[in-house]
Amino acid sequence: MTASTSSSLSWQERLWRFAFPYLLIAPTMIFVVLFTLYPAVKTIQDSFYEPARKASEPAVYVGLQNYVDLFNPTHYLGSRFTRVLVNTLVFSFGTVAFSVPLALLMAILLNRKMRGIGFWRFSVFYPALLPMIGAASLWAFLYSNQIGLINTVLRGFGLPDVNWLGDPNTILASVIFVNVWKQSGYFMLFYLAGLQNIPRDLYEAADLDGANLWQQFRFLTLPLLRRSTLFVLIIALTFAFQTVEQLQALNQGNPADRGNLMLYFIYQNIQERRNWGYVNAMTVILVGILLIFTVSNLIISERREANE
Amino acid sequence: MDDRRFWQRIGDVVMVVVGLVWLAPLVFALLMSVRPPEEPVSNGNIFVGSTITTENYEAALKVAPWPLHLLNSVIFAAGVLIVQLFTVTFAGYAFARLTFPGRNLLLLLVLLQIMIPVGVLLVQNFATIRSLKLFDTQLALMIPYWGSAFGVLLLRQTFREVPYELEEAARIDGASWRQVMWNVYIPLSIPAYVSFAIVSISSHWNEFLWPFIVTRSEEVRPLTVGLNKLFSSSEIGANYGQLMAGTIIAIAPLFVLFLIFQRRFIESFATSGMK
Repeated sequence: MTASTSSSLSWQERLWRFAFPYLLIAPTMIFVVLFTLYPAVKTIQDSFYEPARKASEPAVYVGLQNYVDLFNPTHYLGSRFTRVLVNTLVFSFGTVAFSVPLALLMAILLNRKMRGIGFWRFSVFYPALLPMIGAASLWAFLYSNQIGLINTVLRGFGLPDVNWLGDPNTILASVIFVNVWKQSGYFMLFYLAGLQNIPRDLYEAADLDGANLWQQFRFLTLPLLRRSTLFVLIIALTFAFQTVEQLQALNQGNPADRGNLMLYFIYQNIQERRNWGYVNAMTVILVGILLIFTVSNLIISERREANE
Repeated sequence: MDDRRFWQRIGDVVMVVVGLVWLAPLVFALLMSVRPPEEPVSNGNIFVGSTITTENYEAALKVAPWPLHLLNSVIFAAGVLIVQLFTVTFAGYAFARLTFPGRNLLLLLVLLQIMIPVGVLLVQNFATIRSLKLFDTQLALMIPYWGSAFGVLLLRQTFREVPYELEEAARIDGASWRQVMWNVYIPLSIPAYVSFAIVSISSHWNEFLWPFIVTRSEEVRPLTVGLNKLFSSSEIGANYGQLMAGTIIAIAPLFVLFLIFQRRFIESFATSGMK
């Protein structure tokens, strides 16, 4: 359409043209505002208030007191919160540290010619399809004390039983392993896609130049997979931060919060009215850390690409 | 090249080991589910008990109304997807092909949904559901997911790759916007829609915490919440056979779908983040 025809349009038609894009976006925007933007802002606001004893009375503005309490070791929630926060960080970085390299290994193994490749791809990918709560209930059985598979195997080797979900020293590692098992195969897909985008002749050229397999991996595969790695790191961290459903089946954060994670802790405290200020403050901290991860990851990648 | 062949062999071995370790939980869950309930793994044969039995499945079927939960899961996943198909198509087109003031800002706001997932804002969203008087309804499960930043991004990308000349040609023939969408953009974007549908269905099928919080009665609760009931009702150390049977019942439908459409599933999951 040229300018001359559009200026001859009636005002109704021009209004319609102006409004049209916004009307198309409106349905999406309504739900994003209602369930993401508004609650995000409201969470921050409510984190500065202490709820009144009775529902009829207004909440009291307390400034940063909720945050201070959360880090106060003598406070009834603060005494637990620091532990849960540290657990969440250990859990997230632990999951990433194991699942991302494992995903790369799986992708490299599956990007070769091998008999029954479809079956082996299925074998590492299927956990991604399970509901987290279902995956965790499988593992609750494997980890269980008397009849669990892992302890049965240990006994077969003459080793003592381990109370995987009951021992404060093993609970977090046990929960991390379930997450690694569940998500490595999913992350593998992104590496596999990345590997398949690398032109074959690059390797042939490297072969001719006498580069060995390790050198090809180190100087060809890894750098060319940088974008995949970045993407996998971001989703792995964000997933780890919000996947807590497994705790419902894996001892519910016990013993003594040694296996507890933030979002689950928030859920545990959502019912009691007096905790609402704290629960909002915890959500702010959770979302804050989540945003720091995503944004810093993006900045680092932009820099790297600008330097090249 | 012997070096290469040697490493190829090592690769095969490592793949088999990793694959078997990854399969073990599923295999043992299956074995446990058909094992007589009174025979724990430590007794006798580690793989199968004295006989194969369906007792655990019968018992698990009695604990929760599985057909009802199954129906609820279908309603939940379908109810989310159907509305999403409209919202993401509209917004995807607007962001791909139209220019208007505030476009980038609006896109950024939508993208925030990827960075701050709906499920993390539990407290406030729970309060919203309560004030909308939707607590304990099917609608409460679905409504937060009716706008999808992921879907908008995916379709924006896909629509951009549709040659603009096709739209122009249709317009010259007097096609309305609806006809352009229906005859040009949507048919050319079917693979993207399939990918989106698979990712959307499987993520909501597997969702637990949100449905668990916003519902109370079995009439509206999906499979995952039914599974939780089985889990909390089985005493620790007992009834693992029954728990495994229930878990298998809950995961079976999506699994069957996956085995039929394996390729599409894997491709769709792989696009769920790329670009």
